[in-house]
Amino acid sequence: MSRLAQPKASPVSKRDGRIGGVGGPDEICPVCKSSRYLNASLRFLVNPECYHKMCESCVDRIFSHGPAPCPIPKCGRTLRKHRFREQTFEDLRVEREVDIRKKVAAVFNKREEDFGSLRDYNDYLNDVEDITFNLTEKIDVEQTEKRLEAYRQANAREIEDNMRTAAEEKQSFAQLQKLERQQARQRREAARREEEEERREVEENRKDVLSRLQATGADAETVAKEGQRVQLRKRMDRQAAQDRQRQLQAAEDVRAGNGSSNFVIKGLKAKVKAEPEAPIDPFENLRFANTYYELQDNYIWEGIQEAKKDVRQTAGGYDVGEFARRSLVAAFSGLGVFVADEVAERDRVGQDGEVSTVRAAIGVRDMETG
Amino acid sequence: MTQTLTEDDLYRASTQFRLWSFSPESLAVLRQKTHELARERGRQYGSENNDADGMADHLSKEEELQLVQRYCEQIRTTSDHFKWPVQVKATAVQYLRRFYLSNSVRTYPPKEVYKTVLFLACKTEATHMALPEYARRISTAPEVILAPEYKIMQALRFTLDVRQPYRGLKGVLMEMLNMAQGMVGQVEGVETKGAKQLQQDMLLLEQPGHHDRTPWKAPSSGKMEVKHITDRINAAYSAAKALLDGPALLTDVYFLYTSSQILLAALHLADEPLTSFYLNTKLPLTSDLRPRILGTIAACADILQTFSTDQILTKEGRDGLEARLEKCRDPATRDLVKAHAAAKRGSESDEEEKIRKRKAAREKHEREGDDFFGPSIGGKKG
Repeated sequence: MSRLAQPKASPVSKRDGRIGGVGGPDEICPVCKSSRYLNASLRFLVNPECYHKMCESCVDRIFSHGPAPCPIPKCGRTLRKHRFREQTFEDLRVEREVDIRKKVAAVFNKREEDFGSLRDYNDYLNDVEDITFNLTEKIDVEQTEKRLEAYRQANAREIEDNMRTAAEEKQSFAQLQKLERQQARQRREAARREEEEERREVEENRKDVLSRLQATGADAETVAKEGQRVQLRKRMDRQAAQDRQRQLQAAEDVRAGNGSSNFVIKGLKAKVKAEPEAPIDPFENLRFANTYYELQDNYIWEGIQEAKKDVRQTAGGYDVGEFARRSLVAAFSGLGVFVADEVAERDRVGQDGEVSTVRAAIGVRDMETG
Repeated sequence: MTQTLTEDDLYRASTQFRLWSFSPESLAVLRQKTHELARERGRQYGSENNDADGMADHLSKEEELQLVQRYCEQIRTTSDHFKWPVQVKATAVQYLRRFYLSNSVRTYPPKEVYKTVLFLACKTEATHMALPEYARRISTAPEVILAPEYKIMQALRFTLDVRQPYRGLKGVLMEMLNMAQGMVGQVEGVETKGAKQLQQDMLLLEQPGHHDRTPWKAPSSGKMEVKHITDRINAAYSAAKALLDGPALLTDVYFLYTSSQILLAALHLADEPLTSFYLNTKLPLTSDLRPRILGTIAACADILQTFSTDQILTKEGRDGLEARLEKCRDPATRDLVKAHAAAKRGSESDEEEKIRKRKAAREKHEREGDDFFGPSIGGKKG
């Protein structure tokens, strides 16, 4: 069973080649008893509230003036005109079931990847199917509905995430981009609005300070400080109010979830939060250590001092500290490298053929230095 | 996995260490090998030319080295004539020395090579002078200068970086001046008594000895002040720089020691108490590298000290050697300009080879056509 929303089936009218959808040529509307035989363009609409079918003219007649009870005897449910729609399936029961499944799937939209094992995923699907079955067969409808609602409140964010992933997969890249642009625009708007508010607040505060200065004639500094304190307090209050509201929401969600109909899913994979990327290291874990010197901030040698003052050197961003560092590295680079030993080692390890020559050459050593 | 590189590791990664550093034994072996190869070749073309005294009058190894050294001096003079910075001088001299590790003076006499080496060095060290102007100022034809360039690059194994001690010397100067003023950075692992104490100790340093090269003299009043110390440091720096400019280039120290050791050896020769004091602040007393480092610096200083300018060939000596060289040199490399031009043009045999290949390809194509469709009815076309 696919967990994605059911794709919209092509309208039956196209397949039939007839306007008006399913049903034979002599279908009658249960309300006004008009048949298609007499009126070729008769269309039947159905309301997902009670799944009673009636012709379009009846719908217009009865519900154009607002919500009204269903005209079918024994069904007095209030129906609204905008909820009427074309029937997709021949069997109304199938239509009803499909709608229920769509609703449930919108809430329980976890995927196989979210579960640790196949068994857990199947258990989850089983539970979901139980709910669907209850709703379809009208068993414990109220309780099941409550469970649905509770689950939806408790996992609002995850449902959203899953819905978003599903939607993303369907949408093309260009559409994604358009969406992002829109969101960015909205965020910018929100930010601008906040900025405006802040600016207004600052203005108000300033006016307030001025008026206070005028009124009390007290020392300017104290008034200014007072004004700052007021502003700060206002900002804190606003933030505190926002935080409190968010907390209340969370508390309500938790409380709603702690009903008798608590939906517990077992076997979910623990979602590992991706840790933030480390800053790029250009040397890839390579470090340079100074063993012989410590770079100082200032060298009094006149070459350095003159270069620091010379505009031609400093205008381009040249750093005299770099020159000092290079000089010091050059001063000690190779101090602990004993050429004779290391070269002998290298020759011995590298080419075994050369060993005899080196040994023989010791007897041929020259005294020359030139 | 963090890898830490010290300054020594940085030096070990350079081509100067990898390709152009030798122990005294391996250096001698290399030179001997080159000399003998040239002698072999000399016997070959000596017998070809039926020269009676060609074999007897070859140059000995020592004479070859002296000739090379003479031309190192010539490069230094020419570079000073052009007023180029000291880096060009050092690089050019090292290029010449490295060239003659794998080539003999009989094959490429230094007279024809040293101008190109200097030109190459001025290009490498970023003081490029245009070729026509360079050729004009040393009164040589431009082709003659360019002719051996590729051979030189091959002999250098295309490694053009020469690590020099001059910048390091400036670094040491900067640090010592700061130390004299009481600002000093603390090195890990070395016990010093703090910056102020170091400054005081500096003031109490003993005088430089007789054999020290520095021109500085203690103040007659006998009381040392900070400005006297500063003068002393600057004098030691100039003396060390002069040592690096002359003896260091005209001996083999670049092959046998690292540039850091060379500069500290030059400083050691210039002003021994000052350098010992400076090294004491850098090398912890307990480390086992310390005696080895000090020993290496002392050995290098010995080489620098035992050098004197009268070891260099005089003009007459050089002319004499070159006359003998003329008789026994390799005739194949006599005309470098022609060889260079030929190499640039490409040889005749290449052309003929191409023609031959094309003809063979055409015939093969025809034959394949015959195999497929059978021979043409009216006989072979073309």
